[in-house]
Amino acid sequence: MTSKLTRSLIYWAILSPLVVVILFPFGVMFVTAVRPREELFVYPPTWGFTEFRWENFSEMWVKTNFGGALLNSLYVSIAATAVALLLSIPAAYAMSRYRFAGKGAYRTFLLMTQMMSPIVLVLGLFRLMMALGLVNDLNSLVLTYAAFNMAFTIWMLQSYFNSIPRDLEEAAWMDGASHLTSLVRIFLPLAVPAVVVTAIFTFINSWNEFVLALTMMRSSEDFTLPVQIYAQVAGRYQVEWHHVMAATVLATVPVAIVFSWLQRYLIRGMALGAVK
Amino acid sequence: MSSVTIRGVTKRYGALPVLHGIDLEIRDREFVVLVGPSGCGKSTLLRMIAGLETISSGDILIGDRVVNDVPAKARDIAMVFQNYALYPHMSVYENMSFSLRLKRTAKDVIDRKVREAADILNLSKFLDRSPRQLSGGQRQRVAMGRALVRDAQVFLFDEPLSNLDAKLRVVMRTEIKALHQRLQTTSVYVTHDQIEAMTMADRIVVMNAGRIEQIGTPLELYDTPANLFVADFIGSPSMNFLLGTLEQGAVTLADGSRLPVAAAPQVAAGRKVVFGIRPEHLALSDDDNGLAAEVEVVEPTGANIQVYAKVAGMPLCAVFNERHDFRPGQVIRLTWSPRQAHLFDEASGQRM
Amino acid sequence: MANRIQKAVPLMMILPGLLLAITIIGYPIIDLAWTSMQDVSRFGKLTGFNGGANYAEVFADPLFWGSLWRTGIWTVAVVGGTLVISMPVAMILNDDFYGRGLARVIIMLPWAISLTMTAVVWRWALNGRAGLLNATLMNAGIIDQPIEWLATANTAFVVEILVGILVSIPFTTTILLGGLSSMPQDAYEAAVVDGASGWDQFRHITLPLMKPFINIAIVLNVIYVFNSLPIIWVMTEGGPANGTDILVTYLYKLAFRFGQLGKAAAISLVMFLVLLAFTMLYVALVSRNDRDDAAPEEEVDA
Ligand SMILES: Nc1ncnc2c1ncn2[C@@H]1O[C@H](COP(=O)(O)OP(=O)(O)OP(=O)(O)O)[C@@H](O)[C@H]1O
Ligand SMILES: [Mg+2]
Repeated sequence: MTSKLTRSLIYWAILSPLVVVILFPFGVMFVTAVRPREELFVYPPTWGFTEFRWENFSEMWVKTNFGGALLNSLYVSIAATAVALLLSIPAAYAMSRYRFAGKGAYRTFLLMTQMMSPIVLVLGLFRLMMALGLVNDLNSLVLTYAAFNMAFTIWMLQSYFNSIPRDLEEAAWMDGASHLTSLVRIFLPLAVPAVVVTAIFTFINSWNEFVLALTMMRSSEDFTLPVQIYAQVAGRYQVEWHHVMAATVLATVPVAIVFSWLQRYLIRGMALGAVK
Repeated sequence: MSSVTIRGVTKRYGALPVLHGIDLEIRDREFVVLVGPSGCGKSTLLRMIAGLETISSGDILIGDRVVNDVPAKARDIAMVFQNYALYPHMSVYENMSFSLRLKRTAKDVIDRKVREAADILNLSKFLDRSPRQLSGGQRQRVAMGRALVRDAQVFLFDEPLSNLDAKLRVVMRTEIKALHQRLQTTSVYVTHDQIEAMTMADRIVVMNAGRIEQIGTPLELYDTPANLFVADFIGSPSMNFLLGTLEQGAVTLADGSRLPVAAAPQVAAGRKVVFGIRPEHLALSDDDNGLAAEVEVVEPTGANIQVYAKVAGMPLCAVFNERHDFRPGQVIRLTWSPRQAHLFDEASGQRM
Repeated sequence: MANRIQKAVPLMMILPGLLLAITIIGYPIIDLAWTSMQDVSRFGKLTGFNGGANYAEVFADPLFWGSLWRTGIWTVAVVGGTLVISMPVAMILNDDFYGRGLARVIIMLPWAISLTMTAVVWRWALNGRAGLLNATLMNAGIIDQPIEWLATANTAFVVEILVGILVSIPFTTTILLGGLSSMPQDAYEAAVVDGASGWDQFRHITLPLMKPFINIAIVLNVIYVFNSLPIIWVMTEGGPANGTDILVTYLYKLAFRFGQLGKAAAISLVMFLVLLAFTMLYVALVSRNDRDDAAPEEEVDA
């Protein structure tokens, strides 16, 4: 048997090309975000630069209306998460605790919606939102994000709910609690971790969504962050790359940190839940 | 405290019948044990009394009240679950006081009751701990404590000791029994362990495949099992069964051996019967007249020795309190008092 | 009576979510099917039934066939490449070694970041004049002239496929890790006792036991990649000269650039049917090892 040390060295050596490629864009992002504008286009291209221009961030904030897009993104992501959870928690509870006619069909329906991607439906969705008068309204994104995330949230929650022993609720009933009381005082407190994790993943999904936001939001003050950043790049002669990269840093790093902290839940909850 | 009456209760899961008409009268203050092999419907029956399962047909009464449609929370029954079902996010104190808090009992009353119960159960030191920080036995006691503070009409237990190790199981068994003697609350206790049933019960209900096989005190079941199933289920090691034909006050085996029985029932000679004798009722014969058995395996337990032997090709076990030095292959001679022999009809399995 | 109400409880609990999903996901499908058989004005007005004219137009369009062909290449290449890389990565991450936690975080990182942002960064990194990829390769002496990565369709498409693989690795690795971590340890111990080499163990134990996980990883990835717009859209918008167009980018252009709504609806529907086929496959795969975990509550109605 090889020792853990040699094994570690070999493994890191195998992983290193992938690690480099993964970290490369982060390097690009940071290095570009902090370099002076004049040094963006030098020949030959180089990683080096003369000074850290932290003002890039504040300049960018003003010029690209980052704050507005940030608020839009926050609103959409929080509201979509709230709606998705509000609808998913009872559904997941029903899936986990009751037998009912049509349960199998409902499960299949969930799997199907999980597979439907917004892009295939984008034209139909756009026409729907037109009909509802919700184009250029952030709430159109709230509704669509909630709908497209629900299969995932129900799934996640259900697999966790299944792990909360049913006899806890039964014990509460025996103790004289009504269904509602046992739900509120016994079940939900135990479900909090799952709800939080699911909420954060839904939030991140909504935060990152592009196609629907690009389609439904036609005026720039309604843009969410991905669209706003894309708009700084697409169809322009002069792209202010240092601003774009500064914006990308601000938009991605907090999410990446939260995600890194949560990824083990994903491995445990989703992969197993999905396949089992 | 209250009696529990079960009248013609059945249970079906979809088309699958699980209980086929159970009739049972549990008297006030009685400690009744439901015992039977796995899957026979003990838990189902208990959960129907609790109100956790619907009743397909029949009636369940607590006291004089039919409770078929009364939800669990309104039945005033306390239950101890197999896996304890302690609320993991509450301390021991909060677990035990939950039901009282739901009833908005006055704080000082709650406190007095919880401390009283904790005192009885030796839990006073642990009231602030969370269930996670307790050993199996302590958790078990908290589950009991939760039932205790309630002053409920009836206590239900679903295999409360099955998650404990053998030693602790014996200790807790005694504690539960002592508790019942003190509180006298009507109790229904489910187990698949016949020793638990024998030691704890006022009366035992032996169940099998969704039916009641026999109801009686432990000694009634031991002395006069109603059928082969009960005879086999109660007692350890199990009763020996020897297949033979009934002829003139004795059972004749295939090899011609004659087994004396006390009062032979009035049936036609030549009837196929099962002769039953408990291992502990067999003794070594001082002469050569006893039943010949060929020793196969000898298992000393310390307190006694268990001898596994063959009689006319059928297995037989005998337990002796004295030490003997038997060798495999040796033929020993066994006798018994005919009063302790049992006779069953082979076709129906019923006691004759 | 009470029983009737009890039976309605679970239905009431799923109903609100179901209604939302039906409105947002179900309705557009029907609308697309309807639209795809109509003449549609630039402004989305349906001006009359035209039978299969939109479909005929789609199937006569060489750009459609080109996009379809590239969608095939794109899907197969990205999913295949992802799987080939993810399997060893997952096996490494499942083993115990120094820095495993860090390695897991790094490998999962691309998942946290929106595809749009990743694509924007790569678009800049691949910039012909000032891109830092060129800088890196020139410093390393691998090339001596900057390369215009995104200026020709062929290199651009290859680069996009590579980025596609990169962003698909975390999800795939996660599924495979889930599978590996549920692998029975004693099977390996038994195999070692039976004298199996590392390769034997992989072939005779890991691969067969991992098959359901690999299958699901393939199907899910096929669905995601087939539908993935942002990478290609942000990096090249399907250009130059439609040379990197796949179905989704082509569809998006038709619908929201060129206003050919009938044709776009027809393509959407074709894609929907392809997707449906994959989804059926997926549902079959999942339900094969899916049990009803719910603790029984009510008797099932016959
Ligand atoms: N929800 C259900 N749906 C269908 N069958 C069930 C259900 N619950 C229990 N059963 C069946 O009912 C029978 C009795 O179950 P029950 O749990 O009462 O057995 P038990 O006597 O308590 O057994 P054990 O000693 O193993 O706990 C079993 O055969 C079981 O398979
Ligand atoms: Mg049971």
